[in-house]
Amino acid sequence: MKAGTAFGALSNFVKERFPVDKMNFHYMVEKKEVPVHSMSWGYYTGGLTLFFFIIQVITGLLLLFYYQPTVSDAYASVEFISKYVSGGALIRNLHTWSSSCMIFFAMVHLITAFAMKSFEKPRELTWIMGVLLLLITFTFGFTGYLLPWNQIAVNASKVGLQSIEAAGQYLPGALSKLPHTVIEIFQGEATVGQSTLGRFYAMHVVLLPLALIALLGAHLLQVQIHGMSQGVDVPAKKTEKFFPVFFFKDITLWTSVFLILFIVASIIPFDAFLPFPLLEPYNALGSTPAGIKPEWYFYFVYYPLEMLPFWVILLGSLIVMGVLIFTPWIFKGTSRKTLKLIAGAATAYLVIMTLFGDKILHIVKPGA
Amino acid sequence: MKKALATFYGTLAIAWLLPLPAVSFPQFQQYCEKHSGRPVNCFMCHMNDDGPTGDGEGQIGSLKPEDLERLNKTRAQTEPGSEIDNPILNKFGNQILHKLGMKKVLELTNDPSKLPEALGKESDLDNDGIPDGQEFADGTDPLNKFNGDPWKLMVINANRYKFQIILASIAVLLLDYGLAHLIKGIAVKLDKKEDVV
Repeated sequence: MKAGTAFGALSNFVKERFPVDKMNFHYMVEKKEVPVHSMSWGYYTGGLTLFFFIIQVITGLLLLFYYQPTVSDAYASVEFISKYVSGGALIRNLHTWSSSCMIFFAMVHLITAFAMKSFEKPRELTWIMGVLLLLITFTFGFTGYLLPWNQIAVNASKVGLQSIEAAGQYLPGALSKLPHTVIEIFQGEATVGQSTLGRFYAMHVVLLPLALIALLGAHLLQVQIHGMSQGVDVPAKKTEKFFPVFFFKDITLWTSVFLILFIVASIIPFDAFLPFPLLEPYNALGSTPAGIKPEWYFYFVYYPLEMLPFWVILLGSLIVMGVLIFTPWIFKGTSRKTLKLIAGAATAYLVIMTLFGDKILHIVKPGA
Repeated sequence: MKKALATFYGTLAIAWLLPLPAVSFPQFQQYCEKHSGRPVNCFMCHMNDDGPTGDGEGQIGSLKPEDLERLNKTRAQTEPGSEIDNPILNKFGNQILHKLGMKKVLELTNDPSKLPEALGKESDLDNDGIPDGQEFADGTDPLNKFNGDPWKLMVINANRYKFQIILASIAVLLLDYGLAHLIKGIAVKLDKKEDVV
């Protein structure tokens, strides 16, 4: 009886989130209205993340034509793309710049959706899928970082993988072996080498895109079925039609952003921000150059890791992950004003750690 | 001056007679790191990122007899303008010796900040628009056109690719114009369909 009730509740939950009667063009496109208010800009952040993902797919496919996923040829193939392939440097630069932009906008989208309380019933699954999409996006960044097989790529990946392994000592019983097993699966050998490159490559170009496309499809379907969330406490007096008004604004924004991305990728090489010894081909026998760091979007966890005991960061990360996943239930009764304050604090933390983490580290640990 | 020259030629004679000791000038690296705030290693001028000493690729211990001969020949060229083909130095290291000569390089070890000026603005091995001497001062790679001070590269490339940027801007405007009409057309058609229904 109890099992029957639970099944019934689950069935109702799924039916409410995936109402089959609303899954049609008329309801999802023609009838859809978008509220117009002071936070309306937040509705565009998800679309921008999607746009940068599309750029990633197109430029990534073009890079696949020349990239060689072997430790002997990976660096040379990337160098060949940049130096000798027609338009290769631009394509690679578009790929690296848009990867950073994709992660940036995915984070902005999550924070604005939180501040606008876009996780409210019936959008709980939309939110959870969004959190998972953000995690996949971070994994994209981590796996893609290794592919050029230069000093920073290999050494930063080693540090990243070692931190996963270090988590084992804080886990109880059989769970303590889990991080090691995870490392074995991802690394494939005793240290970062050919097996690691092959596996990271497979994840970056096949597994993660498939997972992302599947989740993104479900996420977008939910967005179209349930429409845009109210976003503000007082329901907006004005709305605009999703098609053609909002859709056209979105497309215009995409084309303008593409122009900015194209200009930036044409004139500022992404590699210019890195010290040149980190861009040399990886040499297992040579000394490790100074200044090995992860990409900027991992600074919010990297600098605290350098300053605080590992277990503090591990515990903090687990709590944050739990809170993110269960946000629709934890913050069910929280006002938008409080949510905005929390979102503001989270933004301040991310900005401070990303821009000034290095300086804070030198103050806290002068020798670091 | 005479004393300095005597010391220089004396050092050179000893270097010539001894079995090829490694001669490197860490003063340049130290200045570069301090001035630019970027980590720099021997790879800026040498073939090997750990410098000239050792048995690794591009280091003295691994040189073949013909390479040692080239090395000795290079060390004998003290004046600027000579053909330099030093096997332990990369293109930038060889360019410094070619442009300035060993004598001047030794002089500059006392004040490495004068190296950019001594190299001049014409030398730009990677053709990125930033002179090699400036790249040395900025702590960036003079042999990699994608590595340089980001803001300087931005200004140089914006000027270099202005035609492409203008073309791209026109293309985007036209695309927007076309898309606006396409979306409008679809919307009108959908509205008509709705009227019929």
